[in-house]
Amino acid sequence: MQQQSFEQELELLRERLQEAEEMHRAISHGEVDAFVVGPGGDGRVLLLANAYQRYRQLVERMQQGAVTATPNGQVLFSNQRFADMLGVPIAQLYTAPVESYVGIGDRARLSSFLMLSARNSQIEVELSRRDGTSIPVRISIASFADGYATLLVTDMRPVQWPSLAVDALDSIRNSVEKLNHNLAGDGPAREALRDISEEINGLSRMIDEMLDVEAMGGQRSKGNP
Amino acid sequence: MTPADAASAEKWNLRLYTAGQSPKSLAALANLKRVCEEHLAGRYSIEVVDLLKNPRLAKDDQIVAIPTLVRKLPEPLRRLVGDLSDTERTLVGLQLRPRQ
Repeated sequence: MQQQSFEQELELLRERLQEAEEMHRAISHGEVDAFVVGPGGDGRVLLLANAYQRYRQLVERMQQGAVTATPNGQVLFSNQRFADMLGVPIAQLYTAPVESYVGIGDRARLSSFLMLSARNSQIEVELSRRDGTSIPVRISIASFADGYATLLVTDMRPVQWPSLAVDALDSIRNSVEKLNHNLAGDGPAREALRDISEEINGLSRMIDEMLDVEAMGGQRSKGNP
Repeated sequence: MTPADAASAEKWNLRLYTAGQSPKSLAALANLKRVCEEHLAGRYSIEVVDLLKNPRLAKDDQIVAIPTLVRKLPEPLRRLVGDLSDTERTLVGLQLRPRQ
């Protein structure tokens, strides 16, 4: 009985020694880049590389989604912005297929894009959000090495809003014109419609000016080295 | 039962402790996925625990260095420290291959 207990304890100590040796080997071979320090459950994580920390903060704070996909199209890395676009917790994204987060009709195109990414620079697809809605995005390749593609994902809604607003205003303007025609004998109603038309024209001019400013900004940035 | 026999029958539950997307953490995840796909396809699950966000979770499996892989199932629990770049060592550590 005592012999059995002794052997069990010996086996446990062997395992612990093996783990300690393994950890020593991993550290001395540079296979770790962070440590948990501090007593008990109040540990803090210390990263070894300051440069990496700055890079990480940059990627985490950028307004574009950033995703690194493995050669078979699974998410290896994602920043918070991409998770926010999809409306899912970031941890849920790790190892998930990138294609599962785009509309069914776009999956084959995205798959081809990832395979031929050296030749094509960007693609526009619909992202499928967890709440069932979708958002248009432009996906571009930031880097591609050893089959690992790092993708930048840009939400296209802000770009599309002005043109959507112009379309909506044109539609309202047509309706107002029809109404104006039908109310030929009603002076007060036509006067009210004239006011509405002026409001519409004012909004339309504002959008045009915004688009002009954006276009000029784009030309300036292209002109700068 | 040999390690290979055990691998062919059981569901594997693995937990990888990472420090955000540190280079070694990313390398460990990529290497782990490759090993799992080659040796445990369809019979494994990987849980990634980011200790930068929840350092208190390190206590559960007594994590000191990151990345660390913990094999929760099949028992017994085993810990592998490092980026898992040495495939042979990883296979032996996971008991997918007998120690030489």
